Amino acid sequence: MNEISYLKRIFQAYYKQKKHEIPLVNLFNQREFGFIPWDKMVMIRHKHFNESEDFKNYLINNPPKHVYSSGTLYNNPGNPNMNEKGFLGCDFLIDIDVDHFFTPCKNYHDLWYCKDCDKSGKGMPPNKCPKCGKNKFQSISWICQDCLNVAKNEILKLVNDFLIPDFGIEENELKISFSGHRGYHLKIANEKIRTLSSSERREIVDYLTGDNISYDILGLDDLSSDLGLLDQNIGWSQKIIIRIKYLLRNYTNDVLVEILRQEKFGLNTEIIEYILNNKESFLKTLWNVKGLGFKTWHNFLEGIIKEVGAEIDKPVSIDIHRLIRYPGSLHGKTGFKVQQLSLKELEDFNPLDEKNHDIDPIIYFSEDENLKEYKVIEKVIPAIKIKGETFGPYKKDEIITIPHHIAVFLLCKEVVKMI
Amino acid sequence: MSDSFDLVMHYPWLPLLKDYYGEISEKSPYDFISDFLSKEFKDEIFDRVSEIFKAAFDNLENYSYYKLDHSNVYLYILMKILLYILDNKHITNRIANLYSKINYYDLIEENDYNTFQIFKELNLDIQYSEKEIQYGLKITKDYFIKLETNFRIQILDYLKLENNLRDDYRKLVNMPIKNGYVYIQKRNLMRLIQEYVRNKILEVESEDKSSIKNLRKVLLKIEDFKELYYKIESSWKERKEEIQYFEDTGFIKAENVNIIYPPCMKEILLKAKEGQNLIHIERLVILFFLLALNYPVEEIVKIFSYLPDFDKEKTTYQVNFAKNKEYVPHACETLKSLDLCMAKKYDDPICIDGYYIKKRNEYKKINHPLSYVRRRRFIEKVKADFQNKQNENKDE
Repeated sequence: MNEISYLKRIFQAYYKQKKHEIPLVNLFNQREFGFIPWDKMVMIRHKHFNESEDFKNYLINNPPKHVYSSGTLYNNPGNPNMNEKGFLGCDFLIDIDVDHFFTPCKNYHDLWYCKDCDKSGKGMPPNKCPKCGKNKFQSISWICQDCLNVAKNEILKLVNDFLIPDFGIEENELKISFSGHRGYHLKIANEKIRTLSSSERREIVDYLTGDNISYDILGLDDLSSDLGLLDQNIGWSQKIIIRIKYLLRNYTNDVLVEILRQEKFGLNTEIIEYILNNKESFLKTLWNVKGLGFKTWHNFLEGIIKEVGAEIDKPVSIDIHRLIRYPGSLHGKTGFKVQQLSLKELEDFNPLDEKNHDIDPIIYFSEDENLKEYKVIEKVIPAIKIKGETFGPYKKDEIITIPHHIAVFLLCKEVVKMI
Repeated sequence: MSDSFDLVMHYPWLPLLKDYYGEISEKSPYDFISDFLSKEFKDEIFDRVSEIFKAAFDNLENYSYYKLDHSNVYLYILMKILLYILDNKHITNRIANLYSKINYYDLIEENDYNTFQIFKELNLDIQYSEKEIQYGLKITKDYFIKLETNFRIQILDYLKLENNLRDDYRKLVNMPIKNGYVYIQKRNLMRLIQEYVRNKILEVESEDKSSIKNLRKVLLKIEDFKELYYKIESSWKERKEEIQYFEDTGFIKAENVNIIYPPCMKEILLKAKEGQNLIHIERLVILFFLLALNYPVEEIVKIFSYLPDFDKEKTTYQVNFAKNKEYVPHACETLKSLDLCMAKKYDDPICIDGYYIKKRNEYKKINHPLSYVRRRRFIEKVKADFQNKQNENKDE
């Protein structure tokens, strides 16, 4: 039995066993379904099920690598012609995936190889290969608790700093899921929000990310005043000021240097030193500090806005025809479950070592020792810590003995083969 | 007489029209006009309608025609019937622009109670607080102003009304929002309603040309109405000759804009050609783009000549001002964030996939409209050279 057949079989076993536990998304029969099979990377779209039983039987009979359903509601979800589907509305979807932004841990566990000259490196691939100048790379994106925590904190920030206080979204309208790999999905199921057009959604995305903020309109531009900004100004102005004060008041200078050195602030060492030496005066008048020019102030603000805003995958939220991973299905790149979570559950959720069995996405974990041998087929496999135990790093051709849940993960990642 | 009745007399575009004037607003256009001709105020309304059209053709910003009586409702319905059968986007845009502005000037004079009622009638979620709520401070060197308002509008309703305007200072990200509501001053609220009214007028536009033709044929059998219709039509024809034609612009003749220009710019040009009211940022985008391509000021002014608020003197000044400032045209990334990227709508392969550079054996993405133009011109040149060579070979 090859790896694909094996994974397909164990996915099938899961769908059979959990048939009655797989949740039913609301307005199920108005949604389009999509599947990616194991044998080729093509999306089978425009599927429609009237009954949940039909859907679950489909999963059992054709266990897919990936399962999706639309955020969009249609009159005829199964119609392959988008213009004839009969658009009824679309939930507001938010995807936070650490793939899309820098986390320091990537420098330890992500790898890239130049396809032309074989040069390799750690972290996110560069724009151009430092050796041959070409730009075609193969990369291995790994996961760890740190980067998944970054993604989780982004979702929490989104909910607690934006969606609930600013948009007045009710907690029960928020459908949060661990994606099964490198992030989280959030669906806002609200009838009125469903009616928004793409361009109206873009306005919300701008608000959540801080894109297209006008410094001038928010009163962040005028350096001539001697009073400075106050935090009474509801909206982004207030958020920015609160963040600046928080940073300057709560971190030691050593930590602040690290924060302000980040690329997003675009500040040089002298300026950082200057800000820190004038911290009190800065806190008092905020932006009217002598010696801090207009450009520096803007760079500083840019960095603060990035700190305050949420790192979301913008096209996902703007598009009104997106498919999103189906809750309770399995992610074909990890074998982890797409786990629905309440806001409370999310706070303590740790996908790689979850103690609450009911929301544990690592469904192939078993206390019983069930070790088997596998052969490494990737140049290097970074270390992975799951359920408190670290496995790897491994090198090509190594024969490794690993438990079942690690094997499923590495097989899904296509970095080992069965022997 | 109820408050609502007064409101609908004043603002016949309110949905309440059906409740109070259902008897006339739901009649067929033919029955409406026939019935209307028997009214004693018929001549007065005809005059007032003609005046509105004339004012719109003259690009006036306001016109104080308003009278608070039943005739106002008749005027509104008659105006919409005329726009429907005139079936001319330029005229419709001009009327929509003027009529919505007239309403705006009236709306900003309304008291808080009526303001609240208007929003309620439009089924918009608005909150009113008798005591003004402070949502910020505006600080200048010498003084500070408390930013206060009595009104808050639900975010999603705000977005629905604001989205066509897309001015920076109206963007959600620059607005004070809390608990699902946008804090907004009355004047700005009413500007949103102006946009609603404009769209209400634009609703008359229809692609069903045979229905328009049939209705026109039927209505023009009514002698008095026929006279009014032709009066307006001839008045437009006179004005039309004074408007400089978009198609006359030298660069459009010289280059095939449909091929050379990226979809974002084609879309703005198309809107301008149809006399749609371009939003502020669209005007800037096309202006900076054309200036960067070194098109002469007078040619660019012609582009704007179809806009419902065109003023040659002002436009020439603004185009010259922008030329002297040498503004940098907007890049694709910015256009995307402004929702002005039309790559998907036009399904343009160069915008979506980029283009292949044989020498370097790689695909290059387009990240600026000017790069698009350069690429297209290059392709056209290669095609032309090839064609010339073929012709030469034939001659030999």
